[in-house]
Amino acid sequence: MFRLQSSKVLAVEMTGDAVKAKNGSMVAYDGEMAFRKLSGGGEGIRGMVTRRLTGEQMTMMEVKGQGTCWFADRAAEINLVSLQGDRLYVEASNLLAADASLRTGTGFTGMRGASQGNGLFTTTVEGHGQAAIMSDGPAVVLRVSARYPLTVDPGAYVAHQGDLRQSFQSGVTFRTALGEGGGEAFQIRFEGEGLVYVQPSERNTIAGDV
Amino acid sequence: MSSHGFSGGPAVHDPATLPSDDNVNAYTFCVELDGSQWFLQKGKMISYYGSIEFDGIGHGRLDRLIRTSFHSPLHASDWVVARGSGKMLLADRAFDVNSFDLEDGNLTIRSGNLLAFQPSLALKQSIVPGFLTLIGTGKFVAASNGPVVFMEPPIRVDPQALVGWADCPSPCHHYDHGYMTGVLGGLRALTGLGGASGEEHQFEFVGAGTVLLQSSETLMAEQPMGAVPPDAGVPGGGAHGGQGQQSGAPRLPGQLGDLQRRFGL
Repeated sequence: MFRLQSSKVLAVEMTGDAVKAKNGSMVAYDGEMAFRKLSGGGEGIRGMVTRRLTGEQMTMMEVKGQGTCWFADRAAEINLVSLQGDRLYVEASNLLAADASLRTGTGFTGMRGASQGNGLFTTTVEGHGQAAIMSDGPAVVLRVSARYPLTVDPGAYVAHQGDLRQSFQSGVTFRTALGEGGGEAFQIRFEGEGLVYVQPSERNTIAGDV
Repeated sequence: MSSHGFSGGPAVHDPATLPSDDNVNAYTFCVELDGSQWFLQKGKMISYYGSIEFDGIGHGRLDRLIRTSFHSPLHASDWVVARGSGKMLLADRAFDVNSFDLEDGNLTIRSGNLLAFQPSLALKQSIVPGFLTLIGTGKFVAASNGPVVFMEPPIRVDPQALVGWADCPSPCHHYDHGYMTGVLGGLRALTGLGGASGEEHQFEFVGAGTVLLQSSETLMAEQPMGAVPPDAGVPGGGAHGGQGQQSGAPRLPGQLGDLQRRFGL
């Protein structure tokens, strides 16, 4: 059972079950806990090789026991995500914890990842359960539906879930080359049905100031 | 203003539930565009619903707007105009953002702290280097590290905590007497460094008005932005201003400065 102790500390109550969490993110626990490093995020040899090949590396640990365990990472804001059979796409570095019953894997992101400077691959989490993702400042959750497609700055994108198609929009014109671009030259457009998490801050992207 | 339910999961927003020209949370501001225009600093849009175009200040179709509302050539490359219809979210480095209304007033603000403003306001470069002045009636959005505190003059403030001021005509430096005395005082006068408490230098405001402070001493990264014209009598543009660029942040090797910034690299 995931709950937010504060916006920056995640508390997980466990009764003999297990969670996967980012390696080293435990800040406190009470009760009995066992920590075990999961090589390759607990995805087996194939997952390990995939992660190695795609550069989407993730060091996770498995925490199992009775009691409450608290997790935090560099005072990043934590957002809870509940999954009902759908799939969450998140950068490995932004994933704090997930129920052990959720399957994690590696997915292809295409130009979005490239424009963020995060590489072409991302981490997927799917199944039924809860996950916790981190953002710089509390994430705003935006619903995308057929009527309301959403456009996001790659630097502010944190995660998305549901059945979404993403397309990469480039507003680079001759004006950008003249230094009179709109400042938002690279955008990702989401269409379909689902949720997108954006953070109130922009990472440095290769698009930079364009 | 929607709050984040700590245990019940975060609030999910869509265009119907997003506020119009108000904060989504302390760090995110939502602007509703309805065929209207907003000026915003480059790169502060984090996402939008609807169809919105972002045009640089040099865009030909914006000539009339620029003539009435934008009088700051130094900052032209940092600003864009958003046009279209839809809802747009603005944020900056997870700093607090707040909107303020001006009614036939004036407000001067550190250039890096101003995120966006309505074109009914006119943006002018302040005589004080690094600050911008907004004049007129309308709404603007400003970022600060920690919530903004409003103070009444007479007041002396720490330079790093100063965000801006409204209606006070007298921003000036104030030095505690210690700057004159002793060897350290002499050194300080020469170099501007050193001193006992680090608080000997303040900005002083008197008269009627409001002073805006942020509750931390973290500044926005200063951007080198060229120089005011080297006319006689223009602060910051004087004889020794020279190229101006050099006066900003130290330039790293391999940086092209102005040219690079123009190309957005």
